[in-house]
Amino acid sequence: MDSIMRCSKKVSALYTVLFVISLLPLTATAEFSVTQLTPVIKDQSLLLNGELDLGLSEKTEEALSKGIPLEVIIELQLYRKRPFIWDQLVQEWEFRHKIRYHALSGQYLVKGHAKEPDKTESFTSLQQALAYMGTLEDLELSLKQELPKSEAEFNVLLRASLAIEPLPVALRPVAYTSPSWHLNSGWTTWKVQR
Amino acid sequence: MESSALNRYATGILPLTVLSVLLLATLLMMNAATQNSALFGNVYSLLLIINITGVVLLIGLIVLNVHNLLQQFRARVMGSRLTLRLLIMLSTLTLVPVVIVFVFSLHALNRGIDSWFDVKIEQAMDDALILGRTAFDAMKQELVKTSQDMAVELEGTSDRLALTTLGYLREQHTISELTLFTQDGLIIASSSQEGPEAQSLLPARPGKAILSQIRQGLTYANLDPVGESELQLRVVVPVYSQNVGAPMRILQVLKHLPPRFTKLGESVQSAFAEYEKLLYLRGPLKFGFTLTLSLVALLALLIAISGAIFGARKLMAPIRDLAEGTAAVAQGDYSKQLPVSSRDEFGILVDSFNTMTREINRAQNDLKHSQAETELQRTYLETVLGHLSSGVLSLDANSQLRTHNIVVEQILGTHLSSIENQPITALTDRKAELSTFVDAIVGHIEKNQNEWLEEITLSRRSGIRTLILRGTRIPGSGKEGEGYVIVVDDVTALIQAQREAAWGEVARRLAHEIKNPLTPIQLSAERLRHKLLNQLTDSERDVLDRSTRTIVDQVEALKTMVNAFSDYARPSQVHAKSINLNTLIQDVVELYKSSSRIKSLTTTLDLGDAMPAIMLDSGRIRQVLHNLLRNAVDATQDTPTPKLSISTRMVKILENDFIELKVEDNGPGFPAELMGRLFDPYVTGKEKGTGLGLAIVKKIVDEHHGTIWAENMQSGGARIIIRLPVDGPKVATTETDVHDDMRNQEQGT
Repeated sequence: MDSIMRCSKKVSALYTVLFVISLLPLTATAEFSVTQLTPVIKDQSLLLNGELDLGLSEKTEEALSKGIPLEVIIELQLYRKRPFIWDQLVQEWEFRHKIRYHALSGQYLVKGHAKEPDKTESFTSLQQALAYMGTLEDLELSLKQELPKSEAEFNVLLRASLAIEPLPVALRPVAYTSPSWHLNSGWTTWKVQR
Repeated sequence: MESSALNRYATGILPLTVLSVLLLATLLMMNAATQNSALFGNVYSLLLIINITGVVLLIGLIVLNVHNLLQQFRARVMGSRLTLRLLIMLSTLTLVPVVIVFVFSLHALNRGIDSWFDVKIEQAMDDALILGRTAFDAMKQELVKTSQDMAVELEGTSDRLALTTLGYLREQHTISELTLFTQDGLIIASSSQEGPEAQSLLPARPGKAILSQIRQGLTYANLDPVGESELQLRVVVPVYSQNVGAPMRILQVLKHLPPRFTKLGESVQSAFAEYEKLLYLRGPLKFGFTLTLSLVALLALLIAISGAIFGARKLMAPIRDLAEGTAAVAQGDYSKQLPVSSRDEFGILVDSFNTMTREINRAQNDLKHSQAETELQRTYLETVLGHLSSGVLSLDANSQLRTHNIVVEQILGTHLSSIENQPITALTDRKAELSTFVDAIVGHIEKNQNEWLEEITLSRRSGIRTLILRGTRIPGSGKEGEGYVIVVDDVTALIQAQREAAWGEVARRLAHEIKNPLTPIQLSAERLRHKLLNQLTDSERDVLDRSTRTIVDQVEALKTMVNAFSDYARPSQVHAKSINLNTLIQDVVELYKSSSRIKSLTTTLDLGDAMPAIMLDSGRIRQVLHNLLRNAVDATQDTPTPKLSISTRMVKILENDFIELKVEDNGPGFPAELMGRLFDPYVTGKEKGTGLGLAIVKKIVDEHHGTIWAENMQSGGARIIIRLPVDGPKVATTETDVHDDMRNQEQGT
């Protein structure tokens, strides 16, 4: 019994170390941030205007310039506030912006904008491309369910992050273990206006 | 119980095997994923996590196994030392080649990946890209010039006529799409070569950045990728108005490149992009392959160590079993049987061990059986000897006492257990009065006689004992087993009985032969006196008177004596009634106290409490007490302060209750020469005694199934002890009786 206890303590310590190691990249400083967001519920749809600062790290910029396509995930969640208990998730959305460098034309191509998902836009500079990706202008998201017209309050949670799984296989171990590749704004909460 | 089972399971072969197989499988999948396999590429990260976790678990299991092994080693568990040594050896043998292969593979892998990339190819790719860009730049410059010409033409065209002009210009310069915007980006007019079947009816709009650039009076020209595989040239130029104050307009010219150019351009683009990507991924690729290779090497090493652990254990199991078995045999456990787990040399060894222990166990069992048999026989013999009426003792060849029964102890009046395995002569040291007994035995042994018979007499304080010794040599091989067995019979009682019978016969004859003529003698004497007394002279008359009186008195005395003998010889007639002995004693003593003869005698009564009434003939017992008291009185006649003590008590001998009566005086005691014949008739130390007093006492005690013996006290004086059974006739002279007797003698009380 003692040996099992001692062994389990050792295993627990090992797991703790592994867990802490796994957390290290996540706690690195995110270069993505949500600067501003104005969500408005209007006629059974959620109207968004806002701006995201999608700053790439040196490593990711280098990878992009070397032809590695990057994918930025923008996640949105609409919550209905409830007194005393947890908030109710009403609906959630996910948009994937793909950016790649076209060497021949020297342009950055962006596809999958929330407003025009199938359209590819080209930009002569990376800043322009990132600004385009980070701009949410009159983005209208339809709501599946009818929202009550009462005094209920709603919040929108938004997070922008760099997706690692779509990266080439060889790059994933590096991306997972390097803080430079962990770009994440974290969840930000914005009050919905009606 | 559960924890130990869990520990056994965790350190078993099954978890390690399953984990090893699982890890090998995931490693193969991961390797496939590293090589851009679409099948496993999506789950690469998961495979990596599974592998790392599995390796950690495998390490944990190995550590647990090694820890257990070390604990066994510290606890000095049989076989653990050799197992550990074997494990270290096998692990070292595995580690060295794995490390060598790993290092060389890593080196080869790095060199192999580096060899994929060549500086020349890289330069060629760069050159190809520059060439493509240069070609497209020429086309772009040409289109810029055309666009500026078209802008000049549109300067004088109003918005209303702009569409017609655009259509004209587009056809004239073979342009794909011409669009005129306001400076705010609103479409004024547009002309496209695509028909209504076009994907989008709206013309492509320049971005905010381009519009801003144009508003500053600059020109935008660039190559735009369209979709996945098309290229187009986009030129945006400002269109100034000829009318002063009219707003600036913006012309966007889109020209699709010919398919051949597009194909070549895309080919260069994709090749360059792939090469650049590959070049960039060189580092991560090395990292990935190194990681995979490290995991493979680590896994191979761990599996090998696991195999070494179980191999060592498996190999050591029969040796450990054998060592444990040998230790068990060394400690006397011959029933140990080991499991035969293989048919190899170890199996044969274990099998031989099992056969050996079986045989030893059988021999041991036979020996135990034989010992038990011997013990049984010994017990049987002791039981038989213990119940013999004769005493038996055996000596070895060195005259040392080997065995004896309880009867011989009773006869000799001493314990013999303490001198077992000692020479028989040690008995003399313990009890000097047994020297006759010891000398007789030693004498015959020294003479080396096979069989002998001798009657000896032992003088003990309780009297003279007559013993018959019969010795027989026990044959043996050499000194071993040789010895003597000596049977001792106490024939004192037999001789006494014979003597009593003889005396009875004497008494009967006396009664018959002497008593008859006494009356005629007496009558004749009286008649002589009556007839002649008046006829004789005075002097003669006086003689006759004295003579006849003497005859008559002596005849009377003879009659009394003959009557006494007659009483002694008469068969016993006991009329027993339940009476209390203490009451009887007190009555008799009271009578004696009133007698003038014993007025000077100090009588002490110490009668036991709660004495039960027993079946006695009061007249006969009264005679016993009378005889004993008279003897005591007679014996203390010359003692200055005569004392008489009478005591009674209850004694328990072998679960039988007896009343013991002791009569003690402080006279001179019994003469030593009479001690053996005190209870014989006509044995007396008194001048006028008939010698029948104690003989009659013994006869009466015998009639009541009691025992009597006499002894001299060390403090002086005589003691008579009588024991009468409470519940009818019992044999009072038993082992305890003898011991009690011995104790009394030793205390001299």
